[in-house]
Amino acid sequence: MTALGEFALWIALPISFWGMAMGFVGGHQKRGDLVLSAERSVYIVFALLTVASLGIVNAFLTDQFQYWYVAGYSNRDLDIFFKLSGLWAGQRGSLVFWAVLLAFFAALTVFQNRKRNRDFMPYVVGVLQGILGFFLVVLLFAGVNPFEQLGFVPADGQGLNPQLQNYWMTIHPPVLYLGFTAFSIPFAFAMAALLNGRLDSRWIVVTRRWTLVSWFFLTNGIIFGMRWAYEELGWGGYWFWDPVENASLLPWLTATAFLHSIMIQENRGMLKVWNMSLVLLTFLLTIFATFLTRSGLIESVHSFAQNTGIAFIFLAFMGSIFVAAVILILYRLPALRSENQIESFVSREAAFLLNNLVLLGAAFAILWGTIFPLVSEAFTGQPIAVGPPFFNRVNIPIGLVLLALTGIGPVIAWRRATGRNLKRNFALPVGIGVAVSGAIFLLGARNGYALATFGISAFVLTTIAVEFWKGTRARARIEGEGFFAAFAHLVGRNRRRWGGYIVHAGVVLVFAAFAGRAFEVEVRKALNPGETVSVASPFGHTYTLTYEGMSSSLEANFDRWVALLSVQRNGASVGSMVTERRFYRVNRQMVTEVGIRSTPVEDLYVILADVEDFEGIVANDPAAQRIVVQVMVNPLVGWIWYGGVIITIGSLIALWPTAEVARRRGVVAGKADAGSLAGAAPA
Amino acid sequence: MERASEFRSGFRPVEADLLNEGAGMRNGRFYVGLVGVALVVTYLVWTGISDTMVYYLTPTELMAKVEQDPSFHGVGVKVSGKVVSGSYRKGGEDFEHRFDVHDIEHPDVVFPVVYQNVLPDTFTDDTEVVLEGRFGEDGVFQAKTLLTKCGSRYEASPSDLAGSGNAA
Repeated sequence: MTALGEFALWIALPISFWGMAMGFVGGHQKRGDLVLSAERSVYIVFALLTVASLGIVNAFLTDQFQYWYVAGYSNRDLDIFFKLSGLWAGQRGSLVFWAVLLAFFAALTVFQNRKRNRDFMPYVVGVLQGILGFFLVVLLFAGVNPFEQLGFVPADGQGLNPQLQNYWMTIHPPVLYLGFTAFSIPFAFAMAALLNGRLDSRWIVVTRRWTLVSWFFLTNGIIFGMRWAYEELGWGGYWFWDPVENASLLPWLTATAFLHSIMIQENRGMLKVWNMSLVLLTFLLTIFATFLTRSGLIESVHSFAQNTGIAFIFLAFMGSIFVAAVILILYRLPALRSENQIESFVSREAAFLLNNLVLLGAAFAILWGTIFPLVSEAFTGQPIAVGPPFFNRVNIPIGLVLLALTGIGPVIAWRRATGRNLKRNFALPVGIGVAVSGAIFLLGARNGYALATFGISAFVLTTIAVEFWKGTRARARIEGEGFFAAFAHLVGRNRRRWGGYIVHAGVVLVFAAFAGRAFEVEVRKALNPGETVSVASPFGHTYTLTYEGMSSSLEANFDRWVALLSVQRNGASVGSMVTERRFYRVNRQMVTEVGIRSTPVEDLYVILADVEDFEGIVANDPAAQRIVVQVMVNPLVGWIWYGGVIITIGSLIALWPTAEVARRRGVVAGKADAGSLAGAAPA
Repeated sequence: MERASEFRSGFRPVEADLLNEGAGMRNGRFYVGLVGVALVVTYLVWTGISDTMVYYLTPTELMAKVEQDPSFHGVGVKVSGKVVSGSYRKGGEDFEHRFDVHDIEHPDVVFPVVYQNVLPDTFTDDTEVVLEGRFGEDGVFQAKTLLTKCGSRYEASPSDLAGSGNAA
């Protein structure tokens, strides 16, 4: 089964290049037979990559440690859940996983468009097969073959890094990868538009759902990663601005910009070159993130020479795509002229544009900070590093502007807003925002950025609430419906718009949670059984934790030491919590498992910072129970996860096909090749 | 030209503006806005870097720097090196950790480190670490932050398993 997997990769390689060639040639010469062959090759490559992936999964499940990859990321006693996720535990498997996801999306695209968008499909298939071909070349020729054998069979594997043995870490990479790979579809359609010359909004209309799907997965992937860091890394935070995190954030920022700027092209026929550039940039950043993740390229400034072969292959690929796309854009420049002009700074277009510029500004600042050690070393011979202080300093003001635009953009008028429009739409929200900031100030908060964040959050939430209220009321009046029916129909009739507003509300919650970090409280103390530690929450109450004692146990894959603490809130008992240390025997690594007690407004977060005498505890020696804990109160941190859920709900509403579209789809399918702007249908 | 009803102001296409008078001038104004945003971001990045940057050195480079200019003892730096095997010990107080770090390429360049915080799980007695802090005049590095190197953190090296196996 596993041997078959490697065989499948070798067969997939020529077939994907065949598909690429047939797509481009067939499209150029308008040869239906060649195009058909190209499209079928997508299904075949998908099937072959599925076989390869199953081969790897099978090798993990059956402990085939003769394979380098399995030996490096598994061991006999590893939980079956983590064996199943071994496919994306390391770089080699991740590349196969990336390829199979892209192949799946490519096959889905071919299937969906078997009767539609026929003038795009040859080039779309050509581009997608080209990307797949590249990944297959990397897998087979760049020293990262997941089927490579060790030449001997170890008795057991090295085990999966214990910090990766966490639920969130098993779903974080696949969700992020779904986001990365889904963005290849809009990119392929954009390139197809440049190749076939259909440079109206058609390619955007066809792919905006894909863009949203990609954005949805990217957002959740990033949030799951934060959740993992928060639970597993045990320092109380969820974002450290390290290169790998930044790499996943960069395409999110540009994809968010793209998601907004395409609306301007749809509505006003503007920003065509800009959108082409954004789709290209975002695609390149997904590739960048894919290879940077876990390669440690940026960290290893002082040992740059080792294992960088794969980096240069990726950079060469990104460079070629960039050059080819820029040439195409320049060639098509006359057809990409804007149909309209910006009329006023005080208009929705201007707000959207500012949103785009600010998002790109943030992406630029983060990219620059991330590669700064490399750049400074190249120019001065001396690497200079910047850390979280730099990223926070630059991104907090940028983030606040972005947050404010979340409220302004959707309600300001297109083209040119009048004073009346501004007053009517913004007087109430601005008033509430100022009131909320003022109230929190009076309650004692003095952090300027946090106050600004809470005020702007209240402003945005009010604009959204008012929009829903006005829309519902108007509909209830016009259609004579009840309030709830009117609300449901309102959202149902323009799901993209109202779903977008719900996403905004989720984003606001996440921002408010970020501001909550300004009010973190932290206490450290050494404890013997019976002793207590107290920590005052910024919300006014006090937690008192009593150390009840320590126990130890022997689990399948690790030894375990658990400290039991009882918790009182303002003197009243609210239960108990545990915080623990684990020693993973195969990996010979100690891991801290923090104890977290969540409430809707704050987390009590207990780190078992030190255990004085591990053996003494195993021996049940009552004199050997001394531990050191770090207790934190993390205000609002849960709002990130709640925000993520709201973003998910909003995205799903926006993605759900409306009944109207489903009906109209039949018509669109028939008309698609007539060059009609079928995109006028709200999808 | 305000939309009559907010109810419909969502994503309706607007007719092309055929008149377009004064478009050139307005576009000029737009570019001023664009350059303005670019300038603000550049300013933020520039001042951000100059206020928060630290030298990223190897132990050998750090030694050379302080020898050249003793005032460098007071400057915050980032140093990467390897923990000397067996050198780790708990400090006098809770949360105090002491160990020696040597240069990866020049193992004879060694300095002692004090770190007063929770150690990351990935810290062991011979990991590669990145320290941020000051190299005091007493020759002890006071580390404010300690990271273990990310690259090796999640990557495997199963070739080390050689000899552990059964004859296959």
